[in-house]
Amino acid sequence: MKSLFKPWLMAVLCINVLSIFAVPSAQAHGEKALEPFIRMRTIQWYDVQWSTQKFNVNDEVSVSGKFHVAEDWPISVPKPEASFLNISTPGPVLIRTERYLNGKPWTNSVSLEPGGDYEFKVVMKGRLPGHYHIHPFFNLKDAGQVMGPGVWLDIGGDPADFSNTIQTINGEMIDMESFGFANGVFWHLFWGLLAAAWLLWWVRRPLFISRYRMLDAGLEHELITDQDKTIAKAVLVGVPVLVLALNAVTANQYPDAIPLQAGLDRILPLPAQVNAGLVNVDTLKAEYNVAQRAMLLQFSIDNRSQGAVRIGQFSTSNVHFMNADLASVNSKPGKDDVSNNGLSLSDNTPIAPGEQRTVTVEVRDAAWESEKLDGLIKDADSRLGGLLFLYDDVMGKRYISSISAAVIPKFN
Amino acid sequence: MATTTEHVSLSTEKPKSLPWYLLDLPKYLKGFGLLAVIYISLRLYQGAFAIEHGLDSSEPAFEQYWMRLFYIELAVLAAVVSGFWGYLWTTRDRNLDQLAPKEEIRRYFTLTMWISIYTFAVYWAGSYFAEQDNSWHQVAIRDTPFTANHIIEFYFNFPLYVILGGCAWLYARTRLPLYAKGISLPLTLAVFGPFMILVSVGFNEWGHTFWFREEFFAAPIHWGFVIGVWFALGVGGILLQGVTRLIELMEKIEDAE
Amino acid sequence: MSAQIPISTFKPYRGEKARLARAYDYLILVLALFLFIGSFHLHFALTVGDWDFWVDWKDRQWWPLVTPLIGITFPAAVQAVLWDKFRLPLGATLCVAALLLGTWVTRVFAYHYWNFFPINMVLPATMVPGALVLDTLLMLTNSLTITSIFGGGAFALLFYPTNWPIFGMFHQAVDYHNSQLSVADVFGFQYIRTGMPEYLRIIERGTLRTYGQYATPLSAFCSALLCSLMYPLWWKIGKLFADTRYLKRI
Repeated sequence: MKSLFKPWLMAVLCINVLSIFAVPSAQAHGEKALEPFIRMRTIQWYDVQWSTQKFNVNDEVSVSGKFHVAEDWPISVPKPEASFLNISTPGPVLIRTERYLNGKPWTNSVSLEPGGDYEFKVVMKGRLPGHYHIHPFFNLKDAGQVMGPGVWLDIGGDPADFSNTIQTINGEMIDMESFGFANGVFWHLFWGLLAAAWLLWWVRRPLFISRYRMLDAGLEHELITDQDKTIAKAVLVGVPVLVLALNAVTANQYPDAIPLQAGLDRILPLPAQVNAGLVNVDTLKAEYNVAQRAMLLQFSIDNRSQGAVRIGQFSTSNVHFMNADLASVNSKPGKDDVSNNGLSLSDNTPIAPGEQRTVTVEVRDAAWESEKLDGLIKDADSRLGGLLFLYDDVMGKRYISSISAAVIPKFN
Repeated sequence: MATTTEHVSLSTEKPKSLPWYLLDLPKYLKGFGLLAVIYISLRLYQGAFAIEHGLDSSEPAFEQYWMRLFYIELAVLAAVVSGFWGYLWTTRDRNLDQLAPKEEIRRYFTLTMWISIYTFAVYWAGSYFAEQDNSWHQVAIRDTPFTANHIIEFYFNFPLYVILGGCAWLYARTRLPLYAKGISLPLTLAVFGPFMILVSVGFNEWGHTFWFREEFFAAPIHWGFVIGVWFALGVGGILLQGVTRLIELMEKIEDAE
Repeated sequence: MSAQIPISTFKPYRGEKARLARAYDYLILVLALFLFIGSFHLHFALTVGDWDFWVDWKDRQWWPLVTPLIGITFPAAVQAVLWDKFRLPLGATLCVAALLLGTWVTRVFAYHYWNFFPINMVLPATMVPGALVLDTLLMLTNSLTITSIFGGGAFALLFYPTNWPIFGMFHQAVDYHNSQLSVADVFGFQYIRTGMPEYLRIIERGTLRTYGQYATPLSAFCSALLCSLMYPLWWKIGKLFADTRYLKRI
């Protein structure tokens, strides 16, 4: 056994010792974990921006952005009746200090409405130095985690400098990093020592073989002495009295204690931002060519706005496929987002006001495969979803449509 | 820890510092130490590489740091199970009806040591790394059944305690007359019940894959593990079997100072 | 199974036999310690788990109901063997102490050192006073019925007051961006957990509603009733597993 394990163990130990000195660095999270139809047709993120990507312990950083809750919510995914905007971090290397949805502060969960538009902001504070890949994401009840776009954050400074103080309603300032720790340890030691004393009282004398023999021989009265009984009576009366007394003292100390707070925050969607009506997009067909890693989308676009519009971007599951011809007007996704110029149109000329045009868009890129979006064709629900961005170059306007369509695979 | 009747004469030649019934104590303590080193090393390995390379199973580094560890674990487990079980079976005592009371007492002590090694492995699997799984789920977004903690907990710790429980069962079956004549019900429960925890991994991963998306630790999907661990209470029966037999055997040996 | 030693021929062990019996005691104690840390902790973590892990799960309705109900199981089963066969009144205290040892090691090394959670956010609850009452009551009465009713009841009723000196301070109110939160809730909001969204907490959820906000005593008494049933059930389960039969085949 020793000869089998030891060299391997030594190697492991050496690696560990060496690695202790390394600055923490966290790779991406499992953002491709969920099936593509869930990632594409639930929370559709856009315009997500970080205030900074390099900061120190105790510095604030915020992430803000928008998301559309897809109308074509998958049947197999429970509706977002309880949802929680979270941050994927490798442990609390940051703490979350504030969070806003549509400008309103919120700390609990929220019910989202399919078809609704929301904007969010989360404020955080650096706690542990390191190089981390961080995403905003939604926990959806019974559905899982739908990730927003991730970025690399560099937190510098000294972890010992971190401080997190909050004020109670009674005006007491408390340090969250140490609050209640010494008190908790004290009471655990207090009761732990009493338990240890009771256990030692018994295990100091001969136990299993001896006691079994004596009990078997009818010598039960020798196993529990009068002294044992006196001590047991003292414990039986003293412990409950002590518990109730300590409880009364604590209750007196915190007369205004409140129960844990739980509730669903009620925050209504913004006025429509996506599918707002001026430019209507109807998806006629979606075909995925497996060999070419290309999605062919056919749209019927009805431009009811005052200006000419052109398709600039198709975005799904944090992958941005850009129309290279509109590079100047396209909003730039965060630099760590997956983005490319894989969008080509059958007719790239502007769609005039009042015009209705059928356009075929080819979205060809390896990202379909590398981001595990092509898994769609192997899913029971093979409908695609995403946001189509149209731009009015002259008026400087942007129109967003949340599109969806059943995908037909082409294997050859 | 395995010594057959034929080895008794050799055993008694050991230095006098240890009494005859504790001859296997050094091996027992070394086993404890070795297991502690293995488990602590695995925890240190997690500390070193889990956050850096263990968060996304689609990254090449995950394959390098974690799946490779998984394959090494499988190889080590295969070697341990074939080595220990094979050794215990092939060196079985074929003359159990001629076993001297003192040697039988010594073997009861060694069986207790084997079960103790088993319960030490149950500690790491059932206590430390089990609850640590909840901690890891607060960090990682689960995208594989082979998370940085599952690779240690499900695919190393669980099989290892099953193997060590099997060793205890085999030791008793091959070296102690009562366990050889009949199959001890409590020992079998205490070894086979927790083995079902390993089987429950399949149920757990199936559930998490298809509908249990949340990391609620007290969820019904985990209760298969709970029922499995109740069978560890079979150790009470093993204790009673051991105590009653030891009392009988001690009646048969001379008093000594 | 019994060694059946008649009282007339009973001779206490001396010399080597006494040392041998004592060595066996120590071996069993080490075995039992790790057995109960491993098994009781797994049982507890996967049934009570989240209520014990996080400070913002320790509500006044479910936490005092679920914890004693699950916590009384192994103590009862172990007492069934250690008291009945050895007259050792320490089964409950041993189990609860073992659970606390395992829990503390994990909170420090798995939550704090591995994943950076402050330990005050993951302080465990204690059931030691309830366990001491169970052990002493069983010893003094030698009665399964009395221990079930009064011991089981006390085990549940003492749980919340035992832990209030540890957790009461986390229930001070905070005005947090225009909403009222307890300090415990602030921990849940600030110290980010990817797998534990707020809605997953089971906080005063369900139809066990309160009258005049007496949530805790109602839950504790409900737990007391259930514990007095759970105790004899797990005593029987302990007996069932402590079967000493040798079978012909399995």
